[in-house]
Amino acid sequence: MARAVTTRRKTLTTLAAWGIALLIFFPILWMILTSFKTEQDAVLSPPVWFWFDWTTENYVTVMDRANYFRFFMNSVIIAIGSTALGLLIAIPAAWSMAFVPGAKTKDLLMWMLSTKMMPGVAVLVPIYLIFIKLKLLDTHFGLIIVIMLINLPIIIWMLYTYFKEIPGEILEAARMDGATLRSEILYVLLPMAIPGIASTVLLNIILAWNEAFWTITLTTVDAAPLTKFISSFSSPQGLFYAKLSAASTMAIAPILIMGWFSQKQLVRGLTFGAVK
Amino acid sequence: MAVVDQSAAPVSAERSAARARKPNKLFRNLTAKIAMIPLVFVSVGVFVGFTIWTIVYSFTSSKLLPKLNFVGFEQYTRLWADRRWLQSIENLAIFGFFSLILTLVVGFTLAALLDRKIRGEDVFRTIILYPFALSFIVTGLVWQWILNPQFGIQHIVQSLGWTSFQFDPLNNPDIVLYGILIAGIWQGTGLIMCIMLAGLRGIDDDIWKAAKVDGIGTLKTYLRIIIPMMRPVFITSLVLIAAGIIKVYDLVVAQTSGGPGLASQMPAMYVYDYMFGGQNLGQGFAASTMMLVTVAIILIPWAYLEFGGKKRG
Repeated sequence: MARAVTTRRKTLTTLAAWGIALLIFFPILWMILTSFKTEQDAVLSPPVWFWFDWTTENYVTVMDRANYFRFFMNSVIIAIGSTALGLLIAIPAAWSMAFVPGAKTKDLLMWMLSTKMMPGVAVLVPIYLIFIKLKLLDTHFGLIIVIMLINLPIIIWMLYTYFKEIPGEILEAARMDGATLRSEILYVLLPMAIPGIASTVLLNIILAWNEAFWTITLTTVDAAPLTKFISSFSSPQGLFYAKLSAASTMAIAPILIMGWFSQKQLVRGLTFGAVK
Repeated sequence: MAVVDQSAAPVSAERSAARARKPNKLFRNLTAKIAMIPLVFVSVGVFVGFTIWTIVYSFTSSKLLPKLNFVGFEQYTRLWADRRWLQSIENLAIFGFFSLILTLVVGFTLAALLDRKIRGEDVFRTIILYPFALSFIVTGLVWQWILNPQFGIQHIVQSLGWTSFQFDPLNNPDIVLYGILIAGIWQGTGLIMCIMLAGLRGIDDDIWKAAKVDGIGTLKTYLRIIIPMMRPVFITSLVLIAAGIIKVYDLVVAQTSGGPGLASQMPAMYVYDYMFGGQNLGQGFAASTMMLVTVAIILIPWAYLEFGGKKRG
């Protein structure tokens, strides 16, 4: 990009970009600020920005009252469980697609990706009925399976694009040296694909963490994650404004922190490997 | 999605074909097939199976429980005579139209801005992607507060002195869709921007130089040369946005629950309510079949362009 851009112009575009970034970040910022206000300060007119009595009382109340920790743990279990299960199915499949492609590989990949675009309501009832029959409603295991199914296309697609960048000759060399298929995948392919697998895992944890439609439908109490917790405060009406902000901030904090430290992988993951 | 990979695919296929001719070909192929079984089971068994199930039962008169007493197209006739369904289709059309255009325009503009090599690009990119990494539920709630007349934008502007300022979209049936639209664009633009940026970075610098030599202005270069060149990127973005629009559910539920009245009802909510609240499964199935058909109408031409065309070329 050796395009000639004058310094003044560059400063201007940078300023514009940062203005936009601030505008986009503002809603999140406001929510975080509000979570540290008292309920009175939160609805004050005109609004106070930074000069209020900072308090953590909202966080204490939310944790006490709503059993926040259990929702949080459910989110963790579901996010990690579904990602792990997804990898277990996706790694062999992606290996097969990347290194031993058949005539139908591209079609299958295409098909996988299009299922991601399918509206969830279209398969809701059959899944719901199966859940009733197998007593999976409101269980971690059931949710892990459903969320894994939803995100599997993305896991496969991402792993496939990463695996394809690894030269097949290296695997072949390992095979010539007498490596079994298992050790070929386990000790040669996977270590080389670690960065790719890491970003796949990261993106999937985020997607699973945010999944709302299925978690709200298929859980009641025992396995309910944070999305359910937040949605249960459906109408704040000013009463719990600061507390709800605190609850939401806690729900998104892990995502914001993870996102910050892994921005590059995140961008690549979210754009299906199109941006490197 | 295969924007960048397209060029790499044929090479890799040739290479692997060469590899597959090695002695242990049969064993490897067999293992490769076995490795695919769980995936094929999941994608074909679960997705196709459940989808067909839903379509089959959309031709029955199922009420509280699914029953196989076929009634032909009766559920569809009733569906298309239902004011609520028609309203939600209309809402989706309005929401979808603006959401598609605005997300593309804003996404491309931001990407073009970012392509000018601004300082701190990584941080900027992350911040713009942040909304996308949030749950729709959180997005819906945040915007519900910001658009709340008592302490949101309306309140702030009024307290700054403009007391007659009115901006209360979520409680006004005439503009409620635009309130949801703002939140939707806020959430979706980051992803489109990243995809567009990838497209812009893929364009050869010589084209810019040539345009400059010919004395074509920056804006004109974008409109006449760059954007036509980025057609595949635009198509991919279009498909991603469109698929998201048809599915829109959580965002609306968190912001307005479909109200006021029917003003922000969406097809997915209609389906959901008929399946769980209305005790009229058959009609819910018919509605979800209509949604599936719409997704297929969007996806099939795209799949043909991205994958089908290449096989022959």
